[in-house]
Amino acid sequence: MNPPALIRWLLRLYPRAYRDRYGREMREVVGHRYATAEGRSRLLLHLEVAADLTWSAAVVRARRAGSWIAEGVRGAELDLRFVLRALRRSPGYAATALLTLAVAVGANAAVFSFVRGTLLHRPPYPEPDRVVLAWGSNPANGQVRDVVSGPNFVDLSRRAESVEALAAVHPGDAVVVEEGRPLSLGALDVSVDFLRVLGVSPALGRGFDDRDRTSSAPATAIVSQRFWRERLDGDPDAVGRALPINGEPHTILGVLPADFEFLGRPPVLLPLRDDELAADDRTHHHYWLVGRLAPGATAGAATTEMTGILREIAREDPGLSGWSVLVEPLTRVSVEAVRPVLWILGAATGLLLLVAVANLAGLFRIRSLGRADELAARVALGAGRRQVSRVLLLESGILGVAGGVLGLGVAWIALPWLSAMAPAAVPIPESAATVPVLRSSLDPWVGGGALLAAALAGVLLALPALPRALAARPLTGTGGSGRRVTGDARGTGSLVVAELAVATVLCLGAGLTLRSAENLVATDLGVETEGVLTMYVGAVDDRDASGRAAYFREVLTRVRAVPGVVGAGVNDYVPLQGEDDFEGVRFPDRPPPPPGRGIREEWRRVSEGLFAAAGMRVLEGRGLERREMEGPPSTAVVNEAFVRKHFGDEPVVGGRLSLSPEAYRDLEVVGIVADVRARGPAEPAPPVVYVPYQGEPRGNMALFVRVEGDPRAYVDPVREAVWSADPSQPIDRVFPMRAMADRALAIPRLTRSLVGALATMAVLVAAVGVFGIVGFRVGSRTREMGIRLALGATARRIRREVVVGAVPLVLIGVGVGLVAGVAAARAARSLLYGVSPQDLASLAIAALVVGALALTATWLPARRVSSIDPQEAIRSE
Amino acid sequence: MTRPAGDVERHLPLKAVHHLVLLLLAEEPTYGVELLERLDERSEGRVRLNAGSLYRTIAHLTDEGLIEHAEAVVPPSGRGAPRKIYRPTELGLEVLRAETRRQAGLVEAARSLDLAGGTEP
Repeated sequence: MNPPALIRWLLRLYPRAYRDRYGREMREVVGHRYATAEGRSRLLLHLEVAADLTWSAAVVRARRAGSWIAEGVRGAELDLRFVLRALRRSPGYAATALLTLAVAVGANAAVFSFVRGTLLHRPPYPEPDRVVLAWGSNPANGQVRDVVSGPNFVDLSRRAESVEALAAVHPGDAVVVEEGRPLSLGALDVSVDFLRVLGVSPALGRGFDDRDRTSSAPATAIVSQRFWRERLDGDPDAVGRALPINGEPHTILGVLPADFEFLGRPPVLLPLRDDELAADDRTHHHYWLVGRLAPGATAGAATTEMTGILREIAREDPGLSGWSVLVEPLTRVSVEAVRPVLWILGAATGLLLLVAVANLAGLFRIRSLGRADELAARVALGAGRRQVSRVLLLESGILGVAGGVLGLGVAWIALPWLSAMAPAAVPIPESAATVPVLRSSLDPWVGGGALLAAALAGVLLALPALPRALAARPLTGTGGSGRRVTGDARGTGSLVVAELAVATVLCLGAGLTLRSAENLVATDLGVETEGVLTMYVGAVDDRDASGRAAYFREVLTRVRAVPGVVGAGVNDYVPLQGEDDFEGVRFPDRPPPPPGRGIREEWRRVSEGLFAAAGMRVLEGRGLERREMEGPPSTAVVNEAFVRKHFGDEPVVGGRLSLSPEAYRDLEVVGIVADVRARGPAEPAPPVVYVPYQGEPRGNMALFVRVEGDPRAYVDPVREAVWSADPSQPIDRVFPMRAMADRALAIPRLTRSLVGALATMAVLVAAVGVFGIVGFRVGSRTREMGIRLALGATARRIRREVVVGAVPLVLIGVGVGLVAGVAAARAARSLLYGVSPQDLASLAIAALVVGALALTATWLPARRVSSIDPQEAIRSE
Repeated sequence: MTRPAGDVERHLPLKAVHHLVLLLLAEEPTYGVELLERLDERSEGRVRLNAGSLYRTIAHLTDEGLIEHAEAVVPPSGRGAPRKIYRPTELGLEVLRAETRRQAGLVEAARSLDLAGGTEP
């Protein structure tokens, strides 16, 4: 009886070496078993032999694996000791590799944590992608993201089916009394469904509901967790308590969750009543709308549907012609302003990483070539190639992990600094809304990824150097190694070119962002930034127009009497904060525009002395005077942008215009003031009409105080003067104008600083790389240099030759970098301000900085090799 | 050259199969199939190895340095590949002696307790 094929096949389960050793004999034994099995059950024999072979194969394999693991652990320990000893012997190499990795990993982890925390931040709502902002939009009039009137909101929320719920929102005020003084905390006025739209439930108590819809309902409020902790002492029974807000007792309905946010972290939510919203003027655009898309609905579908509804309303109310609704996801809109900046930062850190990678690849290569003799000796002494490879990879892996850990330390230190440099809030472009920029911390995913990438980079970058290192033969590894190594090192030239090219791109980018930022900083904002103190005062909405005007008149009188105050005035808003406020404008002596083509422009209600106090230059005619602040307003001042848009070459002063509000009909234009960059230095100034405030003053106005010396020294005296007019009125957002300008410039400054820092790091890392590679190439020619010095060549000549020899590499690297840099700058043109992508000065500086550093990095090793003793040099190999 | 005692002790006690195989090879060095037959015969069928377990034992004893194989010999038939002849090493013989002494000690102890049954002469 012969064994079947299956039994013979089972022998394959054994490891090859085992089969080579015993396979033939085992087959013979199996054959013997079958040959002597006469009279036994075939099946039993098959089973017995098969079980024996399979089990034995499993035992043999398990033993081998066990011994491999044990051997591996023993070997790894030895290798580790060897690697650490080798690294200790080359501290320069180890430090350079660690520093390069730490810089690259640190910068990347910090910037990507920042990007992840900001760009990829998910607001704490269920299904946040379904939360949308709905804007009133009239692109023909330049209003893309405008507010919506109360009645339009009510109609949209009742009729639109593409949204599950819709809420109106308006930044309001919550004035509370603290230590006897009114304190304005800021609030969000929201319609009843607001929290339902976001899908947020209060942590304590309840949200607004149908009981709060009408104005007959009692005054209520929902407070933030912080408000509850700090002002209500975290009292669990705070719900139901009455709290004086804006001079009226409000019942606390609920406390928001700790992580609640919506365009910032409002301390108080106050209800907007449906009946009041519906009764408002339909053309009085006032509210942002926030909605939750119905399941399956898209922002595009909601835009179409809501625009259709608005068009239907416009058929009955021609004043709405031309208006549409723009629905956009909140998560997208809120990062629109920072997205390009973050992309630039991401690209810059990516480039820094490239420089670092090229640097490391060069370093590892040099290292393996420099150790050719040692490795050859190890191979000759019996170390297998596998062991030598393991040692090389272990060394680069250890450097990778250690560099990664150091890099995380760098990121941990850099992130708070990065967050501190970022502005507190950025505007949503083309709207008056702002979103806070979140403080970032080191993201565990980014950190873990960076660490893994560093370890992998260590191992992967060492791989290309392996074949050369392993090719070393004991006999060729000594003696004439100099020539061989020089030949091998030739490939490092391309690494030098790559490093210099990328460093040049970054340097050029840094130069261009630097010049953009400088241009922005130098932009004439149209207001004086020094010696001006600004603050918002009053909450006198409950008084009639003359009562409100009387209050601000009294405030101005008191403030002007403060010693050191040069002048004071009020305005609706402090500029540079993205504020806007539009009203319809008509020109009585021109034919009326067709329906839907009505002009809407920004308007500001101001007092006499505002232009002087804020440093706004009157270019033609005159400003508004004291006598015009009594009785019905009859005059107006317009800005340059308004003149350009509506008057062209026509005479302006003496012209007439009317604004929609009843109190501002038929005004005579008495002057032109310089443009104020209300939306920040990079945005062109919008057309604005300035009118006397007393016709319909806001209940809360911006006070501008021009002082002698440091405005911060006047905060207390001015506050006391304001309170002397009425101690019950709040004062908030007290800032020198300088701080406002600084906030407006925060993003360009942040970009400038970061790109500058990243470029500096890249140039230094590249210089270190060039130094290492050139140093190695020069070092491997020590013997040749020695012979030449002995034969009479001067040290100077040797130095010159080395430096001149590197010039082509530097020129190619810098040249490629400049071309790539200009291409990149063209792609990112929208981020440049007042500087062309091929700006000659920036190009020249980038080329000079990188070129000079690269040549210095070449000169240092040249000097070293040319100053050695020729005899020693010849003996050195 | 005397071997350190620890080298031998390390292998004790021997597993029954290892002991038997060492003993058989000490009697007469042999190749796999014959070893298998003698194992069957000597254990009266109680130790019945198959190819897998037999060569696992041979591999173990070889790796432990207790047996080795001598020059291969041509099979008596004159056909087929040459066979490896396994035999104990010096260490293997020492271990075998030590194991025998150990077992003899056990038998002695059993005897003093009168547990050796009717084999007393």
